[in-house]
Amino acid sequence: MAGGEAGIRIAADIGGTFTDVVVNSPDGDLVLGKALTNLERAWQGIREALAVVGSQLDVSVADLIQNCGYFLYSTTRATNAIVEGKAARTAFLVTAGFPDILLLREGGKSEPFNLRMPYPEPYVPRHLTFEITERVDSEGSILTPLDEQSVEAALAAARAADVEAIGVCLLWSVVNPAHELRVAELVEGVWPEVPVTVSHRLNPVIHEYRRASGTCIDASLKPLMQDHVRQLRDDLAAEGFTGVLFLANSVGGVSRAEDVIERPIYSVGSGPSLAPVAAQTYAEAERNGAPESATPNVIVCDTGGTSFDVGLITGGEIQRSRDTWIGGRFIGHLTGVSSVDIRSIGAGGGSIAWIDAGGLLRVGPQSAGSTPGPACYGRGGTSPTVTDAAVVLGYLDPHSFAGGRLELSLDAAREVVGAQLAEPLGCSLQEAASSVLVIAAELMVSAIKDLTVKQGFDPRTSLVVAGGGAAGLMIAPIARELGCQRVLVPRTAGALSACGGQFANLVAEAARTHFTDTSDFDGAVVGELVNELAAELDGVASSLVDVQASSIAKTFYAQCRYPYQIWDLEVPLPELDLRASDAAAQLEEAFHIQHEQILGVRELGQRVECLAWVGRLEVALEREEYGRPEGLARGVAVEPTAVQEAFFGQSGQHGTPRFAGSELSTGVTLTGPTIVDEPTTTIVVPPGSTLSVTGAGNYLLTLDLATAAAPVEPA
Amino acid sequence: MSAVTRDMTTLAVLANRVDTIVREMENTVFRSGRSAVLNMGRDFSCGLVTGDGRLLAWAEGLPIHVGGMDFLAQSMSELHPDLALGDAFLHNDPYLGNSHSADHAILVPIFVDDEHVFTAVVKAHQADCGNALPTTYSITARDIYEEGALNFPCVRVQREYREIDDIVRMCRRRIRVSDQWYGDFLAILGAARIGERRVRELVATHGLETIRWFVDEWFAYSERRVVAAISELPKRRIIGRGTHDPIDVVPEGIPLQAVIDIDPNGGFIDVDVTDNPDCVPAGLNLSRATAVASVLLGVFNCLDPSLPHNDGSFRRIRIQLRENCIVGGPRFPASCSVATTNVAERMVNLIQAAFAELGEGFGLAEGNVGSAPGYAVISGTDPRRDDAPFINQLVGGGGGGPAGASSDGWLTYVQSVAAGLVYRESIEVLEEKYPIRFDDVRVWIDSEGAGRQRGASGLRMAYRPVDTEMTAIYQGDGHFHPPAGVRGGGSAAPAGAIRLHADGSEENMAAEGAPVLAVGEGIVGLQSGGGGYGDPLDRDPELARRDVLRCWISPERARDIYGVVFAGQALDESLAVDVPATQEARARLRDERDKKGELV
Repeated sequence: MAGGEAGIRIAADIGGTFTDVVVNSPDGDLVLGKALTNLERAWQGIREALAVVGSQLDVSVADLIQNCGYFLYSTTRATNAIVEGKAARTAFLVTAGFPDILLLREGGKSEPFNLRMPYPEPYVPRHLTFEITERVDSEGSILTPLDEQSVEAALAAARAADVEAIGVCLLWSVVNPAHELRVAELVEGVWPEVPVTVSHRLNPVIHEYRRASGTCIDASLKPLMQDHVRQLRDDLAAEGFTGVLFLANSVGGVSRAEDVIERPIYSVGSGPSLAPVAAQTYAEAERNGAPESATPNVIVCDTGGTSFDVGLITGGEIQRSRDTWIGGRFIGHLTGVSSVDIRSIGAGGGSIAWIDAGGLLRVGPQSAGSTPGPACYGRGGTSPTVTDAAVVLGYLDPHSFAGGRLELSLDAAREVVGAQLAEPLGCSLQEAASSVLVIAAELMVSAIKDLTVKQGFDPRTSLVVAGGGAAGLMIAPIARELGCQRVLVPRTAGALSACGGQFANLVAEAARTHFTDTSDFDGAVVGELVNELAAELDGVASSLVDVQASSIAKTFYAQCRYPYQIWDLEVPLPELDLRASDAAAQLEEAFHIQHEQILGVRELGQRVECLAWVGRLEVALEREEYGRPEGLARGVAVEPTAVQEAFFGQSGQHGTPRFAGSELSTGVTLTGPTIVDEPTTTIVVPPGSTLSVTGAGNYLLTLDLATAAAPVEPA
Repeated sequence: MSAVTRDMTTLAVLANRVDTIVREMENTVFRSGRSAVLNMGRDFSCGLVTGDGRLLAWAEGLPIHVGGMDFLAQSMSELHPDLALGDAFLHNDPYLGNSHSADHAILVPIFVDDEHVFTAVVKAHQADCGNALPTTYSITARDIYEEGALNFPCVRVQREYREIDDIVRMCRRRIRVSDQWYGDFLAILGAARIGERRVRELVATHGLETIRWFVDEWFAYSERRVVAAISELPKRRIIGRGTHDPIDVVPEGIPLQAVIDIDPNGGFIDVDVTDNPDCVPAGLNLSRATAVASVLLGVFNCLDPSLPHNDGSFRRIRIQLRENCIVGGPRFPASCSVATTNVAERMVNLIQAAFAELGEGFGLAEGNVGSAPGYAVISGTDPRRDDAPFINQLVGGGGGGPAGASSDGWLTYVQSVAAGLVYRESIEVLEEKYPIRFDDVRVWIDSEGAGRQRGASGLRMAYRPVDTEMTAIYQGDGHFHPPAGVRGGGSAAPAGAIRLHADGSEENMAAEGAPVLAVGEGIVGLQSGGGGYGDPLDRDPELARRDVLRCWISPERARDIYGVVFAGQALDESLAVDVPATQEARARLRDERDKKGELV
């Protein structure tokens, strides 16, 4: 099929363990396939997962690929390469006098009383860091001209050291890029085949660490991602693919594959960044014709075996951040580029529960992972985990876990929870297991609050969208604690990121740095910059000749702060004519509002500093409207598959009916306690709550909040 | 969770809730604070104190602030019998429980049904506090009058949630760059109010009785944890000793010590700091708050870092103070202007180093001390901005951490009282904000305290004013008494300050100073590293090779101090340890050392 015609959309998300694919079926439904990831060759896992989909739709893998219009690909490849130090061997060229920028980072450390942590390595080691004689000042004047010999010497040494990529970050290149550009020319002249990233082009921000770090990460990913995408293209082509290949990017959209391999840093974190995209679509589909302004804020939770990821959608926009650390805050490496703001903690089904020296129950951060896994997997795990607790409580049915593919051992779960937790705590088996889930949920609540607090966002009015295999086990108590009444669990919860690929728009960003402040506003210059951004984004849009766009939107933002502040806030510039005489006043007011919302105070009358100007392009790729079509053949019977004992904290033990999700149709409402089994997740509905199947075929959990957090009026 | 559930699960959940509240307070200060000392230096802390004055929670604030939050809250209750909902107080009085005058604390009493149940405390170092000299650390001040700071002995700044403008006007008049001060004031007030709102929500959800039960149980749990940790230590008396470098009025330096009695059976550690000199006529005296905080920090650095840090665990560390003693006994008007750093840093270091005497695996070496010119308070006027005045502390001059029994020091540790929490400022941001230019910032080679585990290296930082003159006031230490190693580990290199004259010549300067740098002049800070732990001849030669490859240690020092000899010279991956030559060198060095030992 020729690219661009409305063919099948295939989204594939390559995780560390599983490859998920999601295909839109001819009747508009989404069909999931899962397979083990093949780290050497992504296509192997994709093909196996596509075969699972094909068997449900009764077509071959080749049919799917040949009829595919858009192939949307996300992978953890880049992220893993950074964390494991397996990206290309990279040299760092930096202004003389400042060779330790990547080592010193931005300082800071966690755990004030812990002085026994090893200091982390820089992204590029010192012996591959080369000082270049040159200096530009903050006004852009050249203090020391570029010494080209120092560049040539650095390149010769880098070459001798078998370097495979080069990152260049010189001080103040964002104000005067002449030296960086000349260095790039010199590299091109003597070593044209080596990939180079220069900092002012990649990420024109001041703050030399974040610019340098992103630059070196980007350079180091180029050889790897170029090979990876070439391989995937070849594999797809061999199967007869003629559509358009898109790669997910860190800002929660997709880009043309050829654009991403030019700036591969944008593929970092691209899988998790799609989960909020899926959540946004699901939340939108449940609006049921209500006005757009009624769309609630959304908290997106993705609970896997080892980690719990949270993202936020406010006012219809997925929240992004430029503070993305790979490998942990303070000890990892900062990308510095715009990314969907995902807070991740080590808590999931595999997290191990233990008792500390003071007799307090703890959960994590150690995890049993997938090997040996929870004790109930019967693969040699000997520590009680969240999954074991869920088995003891009767939430997971040992016979129908993971669609019946893995038989769980109730005895093993009871043994470890009893001996290692209930006995030392002096409580019943059920109470101990229940406490494990309460503590795990508490950790997740903290992670959510960390993020909502940072964004100045009240969780009480939000909708929670829960994805991931362990999503349904604890989401009810989590939402209750946050004061959220409604939780949406998509039927496709087990593959939230891949679903996000199905719904993603093409997103591109461009930025310019120009310092001005509202007391002496450079309206003309800034207006010109925003025009430049618009032209750059229009260029991206007009290059999409083989793509059917259903809408194209450009939005602009200013990064602003009060005088003396360090951290800026992004202020949207809707319809603002920056050359108008009242532009500064309007921008000031928009900033005051934003500052008060996020940080609790506004300083009326204070001027506002503007640092950078950002433009974002969103092109909606033509696709079928999401929503489960009427009359889809699903069972209408509401007979439970079983009634089993399950334990619900203070309300105790209940005979609890279990239902198979595939048998529930739109409009059905179940009252807790009850449990619904889906092939990729299990939803626990506690007493007092209800679960209904929505028009779009998803699950809406409605909690009884009578006893939950009561808001206190600010005094 | 509405019913009164009183079990260990509820305890863990509520402890986490309280911690989350304090983190939200911290986030508010961090993100909305104006001055670099807040938003880069993280020089602030937030906490919750019970109505009866016990420190309940403080998350990850600056450790030197932690001891004494309770003193602040206690003095508020004593001074203000008419406390009411909607009050807020400004407190910076070092004689009434504050750390030093430059830390402004805001206290908000939290009421539930007319009862004062908690106090929200936010303490933040100011960019300026109205001192006579443009610095928040007046080491030369003979008393509080010479400091010149505005003093607020817990005065009301809000009543019924409305600002009392009198106090704000005073500060706006007397504090340099007063917009910056006012922005910080709003940030810390906002944080305290967020703490108040969240605590009231917590009580509304769980009921006051459950919260009271939680407070008592949490203290009991914390106490059990620390008792268990102390029970694993040997029963011993250890004495930590150290010396602060000489200053003008104390030319012989200041000898300091702590006598530590460990009682594993009773579960107490007693720390007696009474046998220290009387207060000095300088800004170095420790307030009661900073004396207690530095002792607690020294002790808890040597215990399991996961222990809870609150009144429940702190009450197992009993501290003896003495009136008119430099460590925690100042009487008005003795100056405590520099109470959060110099002597406090020494106390933390000498206590953690004393713990190393308990045997292999215990304690830590000493970390960087003092603030070289890389941490100067810089001030002047900016010719790029119509000569607008500027003042702020530079944050990011380095300072290496101590080695422990199993780990090398943390490179961006800064100083013991900050414990590495402090961020580093961006060179570009500094050059944009102030008329300043940096010549270089790099790891200072061969400055680490050698050891089986080595201290972190120091940092070299050189800068100069641009088209203007600039005052740089700093208060170093460690020129004469650099951070010491333990258990055979070496000392870090002595810290330094160098003036760069316009003619290109260099001049070594004293550990503390207040030079006015003219156009063309510059200054270099050599901030010390940390001491080593264990014999450097026992260091894994591969680790020594790694240090040479990253230009932290020269091949010569690796050979002479660590006894590690390399095959090849190039500083690239071909550099390899010459194993036989290394064994030989180490045997020889041991032999020479033994002979020297016999001579002594």
